[in-house]
Amino acid sequence: MSRRDFLRRSAIAGLGAAAAGVPGLCWAEGDVLHIRTYNDVKFLDPALMFSGSEGLIGYALFQNLVGFKSDGSWDWELQAAEAFEQLDERRYFFRLRRGIRFNNGFGEMTAEDVKYSLERVVDPALNSPNAGDMGSLSHVEVRDRYSGVIVLDSPFAAFIPIGLCGGTGCLLSKAAMESVGGQFTIEPPASAGPYQFKSWQAQRKTVLEVNPEWRGEPTDFREIHIYPMIDVKSGELAFEAGQLDFTQTSIEAVDVFRREMPPASRMKVIQALRYYWVGMNQDHPRLRDIRIRQAIQWGIDVEAVIEAAWFGLSKPATGIIAPGLIGHREQADIPPRGDPDVARALLRDAGVRTPYRIRLDVIATALDRTAAQVIQWSLGKVGFEVELRTQDNATFNTMGMESTGERWRDVQLYIMSFFMLGDPYYATEWFVSEQVGVWNWERFRNEEFDRLHKIAMGSSDAEERDRLYQRMQHLMEASGCYRFLTHGVESLLYRDHIEPALRADGYPLYAGFRRAPVRKA
Amino acid sequence: MLGFIARRTGLSLLIVVLAVSLLFGMIHMIPGDPASVLLGPRATPELRAELNERMGLDQPIVVQLGRFLGNAARGDLGEDVFSNRPVADIVLEQLPFTLMLVFAAIGAATLIGVPLGCFSAIRRNSLLDRIAGILSVGFIAVPSFVVALYALLLLSVELRWFPAIGAGETGDWASMAHHLVLPALALGLGWVGYIARLVRASMLEVMGENHIRTARAFGLPERVVIGRYALRIAILPTVTILGLGIGTMLSGALFAEIVFSRPGVGKLLYEAVMTRNYPVVMGTVLVTTVFFVAATLVSDIVNALLDPRLRTQGDRR
Repeated sequence: MSRRDFLRRSAIAGLGAAAAGVPGLCWAEGDVLHIRTYNDVKFLDPALMFSGSEGLIGYALFQNLVGFKSDGSWDWELQAAEAFEQLDERRYFFRLRRGIRFNNGFGEMTAEDVKYSLERVVDPALNSPNAGDMGSLSHVEVRDRYSGVIVLDSPFAAFIPIGLCGGTGCLLSKAAMESVGGQFTIEPPASAGPYQFKSWQAQRKTVLEVNPEWRGEPTDFREIHIYPMIDVKSGELAFEAGQLDFTQTSIEAVDVFRREMPPASRMKVIQALRYYWVGMNQDHPRLRDIRIRQAIQWGIDVEAVIEAAWFGLSKPATGIIAPGLIGHREQADIPPRGDPDVARALLRDAGVRTPYRIRLDVIATALDRTAAQVIQWSLGKVGFEVELRTQDNATFNTMGMESTGERWRDVQLYIMSFFMLGDPYYATEWFVSEQVGVWNWERFRNEEFDRLHKIAMGSSDAEERDRLYQRMQHLMEASGCYRFLTHGVESLLYRDHIEPALRADGYPLYAGFRRAPVRKA
Repeated sequence: MLGFIARRTGLSLLIVVLAVSLLFGMIHMIPGDPASVLLGPRATPELRAELNERMGLDQPIVVQLGRFLGNAARGDLGEDVFSNRPVADIVLEQLPFTLMLVFAAIGAATLIGVPLGCFSAIRRNSLLDRIAGILSVGFIAVPSFVVALYALLLLSVELRWFPAIGAGETGDWASMAHHLVLPALALGLGWVGYIARLVRASMLEVMGENHIRTARAFGLPERVVIGRYALRIAILPTVTILGLGIGTMLSGALFAEIVFSRPGVGKLLYEAVMTRNYPVVMGTVLVTTVFFVAATLVSDIVNALLDPRLRTQGDRR
């Protein structure tokens, strides 16, 4: 064989081997679940977690006394507790199920573990940024090995949905935590949930595996691989390439997938809870006159904004509390379409020269920019000249904070959105007077609002809370500082051989994922 | 030669210090607050102040810079604001993935581009030269992200030959190489065309010179004339460009790391900037700057080794 022949044959053999070694890739089959999440894990310690994606992993690793149902509602159910009862406005009784065991040899879960887990979140020595989730938690009284009473300093209506059901309510083993000095970053020293921590590779994946100590309902998947992917489009492509079983999609992809779904896949579009609004800094000289702010409220065509930025998939918001939650309003004071004539009249009454120049700040994302452009257009029709300014996330998110300099003085209009959980307290707490210059960038100050917020926070009467929160949203809207936009949507793509378990806001509850029953054609 | 290396090394160190100082100032000039990102919406002013103090952000920028450079000289790049892990560990954990990507891309581009350029120069104005020319310009003209997306759609989504995301299983070289193909293609394809055009132009110039005519007159085989006498000189500008190219690819790696969801310093830096995680930003910038300057230094030294005139120029001054 000549050298040339040898080279040629080697090349052919190499290509053949490469092709043979590259089967039609489809990692997602079998008993391993592959899921995309939007950012990498930094902390899995419940007291230190600060992103939603960490909380979701926490739900799979740990048990809470009570947790959210995975049926898409905000109802809660017993988890580690076999009995849970609110004794009065400040005290909650619990009794643990017997035989819940921590892995790594840390034994059975007891009431002492509950006491340790909850109290450490509010321990000033730990400086937990999540302490606020526990509201006014004072202490936990241990009655016997399995039962105890949680005591609050003052009534806190959101204690169950936010404090106990949330990531901060995850239960740890006191002995295990003490063995690692009282806190950990990624690898828990012990856990008692359906899954246990297997590995974490920075920026690559977190792997959970079935917890051998788990005695609850068996899980359907041996392992869960969670991939942090910043770009939602990469998630879509990875799903189409067969590497993922579950991913969020971008809003613009929903229509594409509706027309042509990837093989053996399903899509679910859920109205989300996050709330978007146009905020107006009422202390800025150009927005001090309420008639100008009201002209902006009436001038913005919310339906047009949703049509352009959310592709018509989401619904107009009537406030900051989404449908299905206590305090949701059936309709806003100002209709979604607004009314250009009313807006023009208000501007005329204000006696300002048109076009009236204002600036609108937005985060540099396609969605926010599109929404801003439509707002620019609709306000342009009624006599405003809107200058758009885009900023990166971290710059934008400190714009109205007094602690970061004098930029707050220059804030005029902005499109903002806040994450939301299953209790209205989580929405209104950012708009009280105490929050002016922190998260309340509209600098909205209203004594009645502050008073109602406190009453609603302490009330356990659902009807009363519903009425109070509706009134609070009316006060927000009447101030002229807010034009509510929408709650957005969560669009999810998953294989048809799995049945995802979801929280009401569309966030996945990994431990509840099941194999779908075989569907006949 | 040693004097040449010493001079270049000194200059390189100066460039690193200047570049890092400049970036340090720029990063601290942009608004944004790591305490807000790290501590979440419910952080108290006391918590914020404590974090700022721990990060040294309560000090004047000059003091912060001096402290950073001093610590960096001892190999201490500080600690990640979030996890308190040493930044050096975090960066070094991610660096191999970026280096693998960059070297795979530049290596493949060189292996394809240099022969393509030589071939075009030897077959000047032939049909194949014209086809190679069109291909080269086409490769240069198509933006990397377009290559990335089409490669993903065709080779990953449609044909499922290559994975769309990830870097493969650690320790499994076949898996890692498999995951490297598409990102390296996206990053390196433009360089194939660039190197091919550069080598062609240099070869055409060199092949017209006297020593090539002399070599041919001596009856040396054309393979020897091209390989030993023409290419050795014609490759010099390419070596310089490759040094710079590695630096450019370090920045280009960011898009590949995000699109293909690969780990790497580009993605690390992006996330650190977004969260104003200053120690990680500075550590990553320092490491990539050192790497870029080192690549340029190596290309200078290789050039000097290939062309003795370069290493004596400095001595004559």
